[in-house]
Amino acid sequence: MNVKELRKKSLWVRRQVLEMIVAAKKGHIGGAFSCIDILVVLYYAGILRINAKNPNWLERDRLIISKGHAGVALYAILADLGFFPVSELKNFCRNNSLLGGHPDRRIPGIEADSGSLGHGLGIGAGLALSARLNRAKFMNVVLLGDGECDEGSVWEAAMFAGHHKLNNLVAIVDRNLQCVTDFTEDCLSLEPFADKWKAFNWEVRLADGHSYEELLASLKDFRTRNDSRPLMIIARTIKGKGVSFMEGNLAWHHSVPEGDNLECARRELGKDAKSEE
Amino acid sequence: MLNQKNKLSDIDIRDAFFDELYNLAAKDPNVIFLTADMGAFSLEKFKRDLSSQYINAGVAEQNLVSVAAGLALGGKKVFIYAIAPFITQRCYEQIKIDLACMRLPVTIIGAGAGIVYNSDGITHHATQDIAIMRTLPGMTIFNPADSVTAAAAVHIARNSNGPVYVRIDKGKLPLLYDKKNNFSDGMAILKTGSDLMIIATGTMVHQAFRAADKLAQHSIDTGIIDLYRIKPINEDLFLTAVKKVRRIATLEEHSVIGGIGSAVGEILADRGMALSLKRIGIADKYCSVCGDREWMRKDYGLDIENICKILVNANEGANV
Repeated sequence: MNVKELRKKSLWVRRQVLEMIVAAKKGHIGGAFSCIDILVVLYYAGILRINAKNPNWLERDRLIISKGHAGVALYAILADLGFFPVSELKNFCRNNSLLGGHPDRRIPGIEADSGSLGHGLGIGAGLALSARLNRAKFMNVVLLGDGECDEGSVWEAAMFAGHHKLNNLVAIVDRNLQCVTDFTEDCLSLEPFADKWKAFNWEVRLADGHSYEELLASLKDFRTRNDSRPLMIIARTIKGKGVSFMEGNLAWHHSVPEGDNLECARRELGKDAKSEE
Repeated sequence: MLNQKNKLSDIDIRDAFFDELYNLAAKDPNVIFLTADMGAFSLEKFKRDLSSQYINAGVAEQNLVSVAAGLALGGKKVFIYAIAPFITQRCYEQIKIDLACMRLPVTIIGAGAGIVYNSDGITHHATQDIAIMRTLPGMTIFNPADSVTAAAAVHIARNSNGPVYVRIDKGKLPLLYDKKNNFSDGMAILKTGSDLMIIATGTMVHQAFRAADKLAQHSIDTGIIDLYRIKPINEDLFLTAVKKVRRIATLEEHSVIGGIGSAVGEILADRGMALSLKRIGIADKYCSVCGDREWMRKDYGLDIENICKILVNANEGANV
């Protein structure tokens, strides 16, 4: 997909996520909206090698959504790609549904259970190590939240991946500067964030997490990178991106829009969609 | 099965496990061993001969479990190792999500069952591990009482489709079994008795034999079950084994809350069985002082004298 198509796809995903959360009356809308552009680039711009018809294809690239609360965004993408029917999305969080608030491996296309923060990078490191031991060529991508990086286990995994030079491991942090009730720098500052990862023996790249051009540039040598270190992409994002009243607003970690807010959100996402068409 | 009066094993129970793991890994390059910077005499040759299958992941148990899960997702058969409280309690969340929820074949080897690390203190004691591990759906738990069982646990774990926790003791323990046993029953009736059946696990099986000898002097005919697989418990075999006794007791170097005493009590309650059960284990308290293992057992009331006193009193109470 070209940039114009990627933008259109992101809007479609945002609209799906909005309607899923509104129908379920629950969901983490802010952190889903902040990472949708990243996921869309990974899945629609030819970065990840996957096969919806064969979700367990051994040579597929693995994406672990370690910030599992944003799984709702990935559900929309996986459904759109054919891993399961799009009609399943309307069952999000309903009784007897495949799609819960946090993803698990029962769902085609989901590689690891997540929802408890700080697990995904270690799992990704283990997968990357297994690939090296098996001489397999697949890549391993872990999407982390920045609030998630408060967890000590993230840094245990960072040390492990750096030490073992797992250059088939790519981590992307959705750096929206917010956690649940606070701003990351106000409760437990992460900065100097890039320097931390560098000190843990990672190659670090910075990108605007809502710029397809910058994300694509940071991933251009995704598979062929000439560096022995694992790669960290710190993607600067805006929590709630796409709906003006949610953007950067602490109230929208997991609130559900209704009334005028819902109308406004639909209008903003719908209007832009039309302008893309 | 051997008579327990048989000789001491010529090998430390932990080394028996690791020697067998070495043999397995030498044949199967998919077997990967990860340690949280914990060694053992018998691991030296593993590290030397099978270096590509041996990883010291550092003192980072949470990551160790997650990495193990990733390796298992990549098709590896993974064994992870550290001191029991650190490889269970420290990283319980990772075990729950990454291993149990994901049903991955990773074997957790916890060194130092119960109070093996006696004078090292409470930090190193594994006296809550059974309680927390057995609440995890799909978790298999082994607590071998001799070197033959320990070696067999390697293969049972290797062939498991889900996570396994092996709670392993230390030292040369008396042999209970010969190598023909396949340990698929989950428990073994090592001694029959008409008055009392002691269900013990791990090293306390040997304590049960000593108690049975002493109880015989009080005319209490005592049977012994080695509950080497704590989860899942073979309920049918258990019910058959206790059908003809008047009372049962559980014996474990673990908290009385949540251990095998609780597990057995749950079976009795669920089956509506009115069978007298005495749970003997570590009381709901921390040790007040330190000492060697025998000394600490005495402090916890797990020495032979106190075990027999409890069981004789229970028996007399029943006869009143």
